[in-house]
Amino acid sequence: MQVKFQLVTYDEELDKFDLDESVYHLELDDEQSKTYELLKDGDLHLYNWFQESDFFLNWIKEEVYPDSIGKKFAICDIDDVSFRRFYFFKVTSGDVHYEYFKKLFGLIEESEWQDREDFGKNILEYLPAKRQELVMELQDEAEVEDETEA
Amino acid sequence: MDNEYIKKMLSEMDKDLASKGLSRRDAMKLAGLSSASFLMGGASSAEAAEEEIAKTDAKGRILIIGGGLAGMSTARRLTTKLSNPDITIIEPNEYSSNYQPGQTLVGGGIWDVDEVIFKRDDYVPDSVKLIKEKAIAFTPQENFVVTDKGTKVEYDYMVVATGLHLDFERLKGITAAGRCYTAGDNSTLLKVLGDDVCSIWTTEGSARTWEIMQAKIAEAKKLADAGSKKKLRFIFTHPNTPIKCGGAPKKIMNLANARLKEAGARDNVEMLFCTNGGAMFGIPEYHDAVLGQFKREGFKWKYRHNLLEVHKDRKVAVFDSKWQEKGPWDPIMHEYEVIPKHEKVEIAYDFLHIAPPQMAPREIRESNVGSPAGWVPVNKHTLQHFQYKNIYSVGDVAQVPMGKTGGSVRKQYKVLVDNLVAQMAGKKLPKKYTGYTVCPLVTDIGRVMLAEFNWTVKPAPSFPLDPTVERWMWWLMKVHLLLPMTQIGMLKTGRA
Repeated sequence: MQVKFQLVTYDEELDKFDLDESVYHLELDDEQSKTYELLKDGDLHLYNWFQESDFFLNWIKEEVYPDSIGKKFAICDIDDVSFRRFYFFKVTSGDVHYEYFKKLFGLIEESEWQDREDFGKNILEYLPAKRQELVMELQDEAEVEDETEA
Repeated sequence: MDNEYIKKMLSEMDKDLASKGLSRRDAMKLAGLSSASFLMGGASSAEAAEEEIAKTDAKGRILIIGGGLAGMSTARRLTTKLSNPDITIIEPNEYSSNYQPGQTLVGGGIWDVDEVIFKRDDYVPDSVKLIKEKAIAFTPQENFVVTDKGTKVEYDYMVVATGLHLDFERLKGITAAGRCYTAGDNSTLLKVLGDDVCSIWTTEGSARTWEIMQAKIAEAKKLADAGSKKKLRFIFTHPNTPIKCGGAPKKIMNLANARLKEAGARDNVEMLFCTNGGAMFGIPEYHDAVLGQFKREGFKWKYRHNLLEVHKDRKVAVFDSKWQEKGPWDPIMHEYEVIPKHEKVEIAYDFLHIAPPQMAPREIRESNVGSPAGWVPVNKHTLQHFQYKNIYSVGDVAQVPMGKTGGSVRKQYKVLVDNLVAQMAGKKLPKKYTGYTVCPLVTDIGRVMLAEFNWTVKPAPSFPLDPTVERWMWWLMKVHLLLPMTQIGMLKTGRA
């Protein structure tokens, strides 16, 4: 089966994400397809699986961003699953994102007094750390092995 | 409560229990067993075994700031865990250990105020030193605090349990009421609030609330007796800050409603709840249940209304009313932006019950012990200060995600003591607070919804019964069991 990806690139110096407008398609083998079906509703589980899979990183390195060692990027959309809120969240975003982040970051104050500006501030405090977990860097395998051996 | 009322309650309870396959006897047995374990801290067999562990020889000077329920219970439990405790409490208020959860019942005329006033000195453990002064300066880098009388107190470990400040000063029109604690002399506050405005958030204020409520009910009764269609307006507010006992604004509203019905004057009063929040309760299941109860009782409500001003001369409350409008399309987020708007709204009242804005005490807020927001920043699981590892915090002043309630303290102080004792013994911190809290939401005289929940934002019932149902047995627990559990279980034995 084929899975559609959209990506964001990360500029470390400016601490800024830019949307890569291109849409990329990755062909999954049977085993990968089964795993994908199991995880497709799993939000960050789905993200983590791709992030930790060699086949995905190799595909990015060879076909999506070739000759780009050191480039940092993150997944923005996988088919219909969107992770945009992690990179472009702002206080004027819709309630669905507030609810998502409130739960993700455990921001469960006595919600009767909270309003969206307060939640927004809290979320913006937590997001930079979470984003860093999602960012991937294209690395030269040889260098990685050398470092490991050293 | 007359016999007919009780019979009706029992009949409803029986019906409800029967649908779960339980008889009343079975349920009470179950509740009784659970209540007994509740009194002993919901002790599982593992916890019970833990209670048998011998005291440790760990040593260190422990300083507790604040002698309320949290501070005093922590001191008591520490004396049960340490062979040679060296504990000092700094607390200037003679009545700091009052039973605050009972203030709604005082405000609703169920209890006399004497029933919730406890003397601090009756609860100080024998081996604990009490300094009757106020800690005003904190130097956590050098492990000492200074009191208002100039006493310098050094410590190895400190527990911050100051409670919080009621910030009436923030409300224009009654700023002269100032900031105060729940317990103690609040005569200035009561004088400033006058004869139409009240608040159960202070002990004296809860008794005054009952006086004012009775006078207003009598006014409504006169209208009813005269066959008038005129309605008085009773307003109950909920502010835009964290508050202790988030359910209390609704509890006192429900008790006022019960008293109006009792007097046959309910039709001559409009009951209005004005809350800064956008829901009745943070937990969806309880929100739905409370909303249903509001509709059933004919209450009106306004979300996103935060009290700003009180004009006593005109009997008008001014609220900051907030709403959202749809903004432009965001092509990256694939959604419309949301534009927050607000304006001032005036609402006339005949009876105004204020849940005041609440904040960390100034001395905490302005010291290195407090966070920029004022509360003491602790790891929400271990209750250990993020920066100063020999400092812990418990109760209302601790910066944990939710639940400034006695129910939270009942779970927190045991975690804190176990972690502190472990640290003193050079061990890893063994215990985690999971965010449990409980709000016995009084919905009528004789009915309580036992709203238990934790950080999962889901109901966390201790009993195998639907927690969103208002029950008479929880009323019995609220009125008869929780006070002795606090007085004996926590303050006197440190075990509940």
